[in-house]
Amino acid sequence: MRCTGSARFATSSMSTLSNYETYLILGVLIPFVSFVILMLFGPRLGKPLAGWVAVAAMGASCVLATMTLVGWRGEDSIARMSLAANAAEHQFHWADMGSVAIHIGVKLDSLTVIMFFMVTFISFWIFVFSVGYMAGHSDEVGGKSKYHRFFCYLSLFGFSMLGLVVSSNLLFLFIFWELVGLCSYLLIGFYFDKKFASNAAMKAFITNRVGDFGFIFGLMMVFFFLGTLDLDRAAAVFAEQYHGHTGLFEDGFVLDIFGLELSGMALATAMGIGLFCGAMGKSAQFPLQVWLPDAMAGPTPVSALIHAATMVAAGVYLVARVFRLLTPDAQMFIAVIGCITLTLMALVAIVQTDIKKCLAYSTLSQLGYMIFGLGVGAWIAALFHLMTHAFFKAMMFLGSGQVIEGCHHEQDMRKMGGLMKKMPMTGLTFLVGVLAISGFGIPATQFGLGGFFSKDEILAVAWDRSHMWNEPIGHHDDGGHAGGTATADRVAHGFSRGGHEHVDRSSPPPLKRWATHVELASDQHGGGGHADGPHEADAHGDGVNRAGIAPLPKWMFWCAIITAYVTPFYMMRAWWMTFMGKPRDEQVYEHAHESPLMWVPLVVLAVFTLVSSYWLFRPMLADAAPEATDAVLVVGLDGTAAAVDGAAIHLHAAHRWLAYGVGGSWLIAFVVAFAIYRNGLAVGTRLKSLFGPIATLLERKYYFDEFYGFLFVRGCVVVAHVCRFFDTYVIDMLANLSAKITERFAVFSGRGVDAYIVDGVFNGVAGTAMDISDVVRSPQTGRIRNYVMFAAGGAAIVILLLLFFDGSAGARAALTSMNS
Amino acid sequence: MFLIGLTHYLILSAAVLCCGLFVMMTKRNAIGILIGVELVLNSVNINFVAFDRYRPDGGFDGQVAALFVIVLAAAEAAVAVAICMNLYKNINTIDVDRGDALHG
Repeated sequence: MRCTGSARFATSSMSTLSNYETYLILGVLIPFVSFVILMLFGPRLGKPLAGWVAVAAMGASCVLATMTLVGWRGEDSIARMSLAANAAEHQFHWADMGSVAIHIGVKLDSLTVIMFFMVTFISFWIFVFSVGYMAGHSDEVGGKSKYHRFFCYLSLFGFSMLGLVVSSNLLFLFIFWELVGLCSYLLIGFYFDKKFASNAAMKAFITNRVGDFGFIFGLMMVFFFLGTLDLDRAAAVFAEQYHGHTGLFEDGFVLDIFGLELSGMALATAMGIGLFCGAMGKSAQFPLQVWLPDAMAGPTPVSALIHAATMVAAGVYLVARVFRLLTPDAQMFIAVIGCITLTLMALVAIVQTDIKKCLAYSTLSQLGYMIFGLGVGAWIAALFHLMTHAFFKAMMFLGSGQVIEGCHHEQDMRKMGGLMKKMPMTGLTFLVGVLAISGFGIPATQFGLGGFFSKDEILAVAWDRSHMWNEPIGHHDDGGHAGGTATADRVAHGFSRGGHEHVDRSSPPPLKRWATHVELASDQHGGGGHADGPHEADAHGDGVNRAGIAPLPKWMFWCAIITAYVTPFYMMRAWWMTFMGKPRDEQVYEHAHESPLMWVPLVVLAVFTLVSSYWLFRPMLADAAPEATDAVLVVGLDGTAAAVDGAAIHLHAAHRWLAYGVGGSWLIAFVVAFAIYRNGLAVGTRLKSLFGPIATLLERKYYFDEFYGFLFVRGCVVVAHVCRFFDTYVIDMLANLSAKITERFAVFSGRGVDAYIVDGVFNGVAGTAMDISDVVRSPQTGRIRNYVMFAAGGAAIVILLLLFFDGSAGARAALTSMNS
Repeated sequence: MFLIGLTHYLILSAAVLCCGLFVMMTKRNAIGILIGVELVLNSVNINFVAFDRYRPDGGFDGQVAALFVIVLAAAEAAVAVAICMNLYKNINTIDVDRGDALHG
């Protein structure tokens, strides 16, 4: 391994790879090997075997991931730090881009380990499920079996996704990012002979390109301003530049982008938003959410793996990774986008009748929660939600796949009902998923499923941002410490966590009100103790304020709260319509069945959903958080929790009332759903007609497809027409005009100059010669008699001339003398 | 008294020459033209002989030349008759006005 570049990389090139790095690298490469095998020998391996190759490869990765996870949990924090540092030193020097060296390396921290485990574990079980699923599905396109191709793509996806997770470099993250996008495209369009599937694939790909454009823009800014694409180094340089007023934050530096003048903080914000744009595409955030529901055209395991559990979460993962490069403004942008997505998409899910579409909108809404969480600063909570969501949503999608498969490709929930008797395992595991996503838990206890904790944390942080941050600047009330067990939770400090050196930017950059860096430390669940007092600023006596960073608008918080009530309702509705009540379609009901290859993964994932809530994931994420959110500008409310000044940090009164206010939402929503759908669809239909236009608006998904169809598709067509018009009437006209002119000139030179002048000269000469020759030849009659006459006449003339002129005297004298 | 001198011969010669030329110019029959040619040649002969008779040194060059002309005329007649034959073979007539293929 060649280690060059900066001193940091060069220091200990002698050290060896740690086990964890080896495991992770192998774990990434094994699915790639499977991909190559399936690509080369897939058709020969045949129907079930090709699938099992992919399963075996992913299983091996999963074993490695489990080993990594178990080992990592055994390490203490010092060992983890040295391992991470060791991994950071093992950077393979890949290429130089100008003066910037690009390194391939493994980013080793708790987040990587837990994500890696999540991806391999879910992938493995979904691969198993796929074998069962594809057994009953047509894998032929155009008469040729595409079975091996399916698993080939799945393996490639596994490789790309795992590569994305372990990348320590933004460039490689981006490369794998595009690879998962490609796999998504290939798998959505797996049945590419069907028009809707190929259209959906194109839609997904093109929509992602829109987001990736922003991503590339952000990457270029990172490259240009920070001079490195390594995640850790970029964050370090970012902080350095902020302190030193250089680079991005150079005073007086203005970047002019199409007339938009950016400098300082605004420039950094633009960079953050650019990076987030990639996440908007991949995680299907408003306004790029349109592709995800259509992506359900792919086989159901693909929906579960790529479009619910892993790939769409990559956007969230990306934001979490570049968290240190964000600014409060960029975060606010992220929060707004997430809030819009989570609210709007949850409402659409209410009226969906297609079981997969319903789950797809639910996924959108939950992704919105994660993005919203990152936006408001709940780093741990957002990723925690990502983890829990990945398990239960993958499981629910697999459940829907089982239902669809069992009911002979029937996806309409209105035709289902009463399937519980026919598919008990599916129904029960699906119920576990419904409970998990609904935030099932008993308030005021430690008992609850994943969603109960993760969503609650996001909401608690949002509450804090929206309700506690709008106090006026300088209002430091020290009277609010309640109970003395918990100190006030808002610790503002300078740039160095330890030193509290406060850099007062009282004369902030011209565009923004940024005053200082504020970190709000909180730990909602820490120690189970809840502070009772209101949140007051503990200013640490140095006049710190948190001004500059705008509080979260209250409507955003309330949107998230309302959605927390909507989510259980539509999930319960879906479950009840599918599994409970009376069968509505005898034919579908008759055919319903389960197969073990499919319900075993369901049970495994369900068990994991049940046990893996608070205790399994969150400590790992909390461990990764301090490093991942240790940035100069970003608002990381739960990340730096325990670190600030060693203070035990706490918590929110919010959390307590949220536990009651929202903790019971699942119960209320379940009751409402039960009341409406208990006796079939009649009540639901009546309600729908009652709401009339609103229901239609939701059913048509806010007319986004129509709007985009009109604006972009039609827009493209219109632009194409304009281009054609331009082509026809301007380009062609110019071409024709020049052709006409040339032609006219040719006619002029041909018929005028050539015919009259050039030919005229030659013909004239020739004609004259002819005329002369006509005259000259006229005596040449060909008659001997004439010739004789001419000869005689000529001779006579000569003689006469001689006689009378030249020799006349002599001749006469001669004649005279002869006569005499 | 009327003495016949050189002048008279020359006048006769000129007259014969004119007859010959006239025949050559007017006759369309190739044989007729041949006859005209003979007349012209004979007028020349008359000139040769006359000048020879009246030359002061009394040589015979003129008479020898006349003999050559007679021989030449015979050869010429043979060639001319052959031409006439060919002419007839080609255009089925010996009318020289019809044989004007070389006209300009």
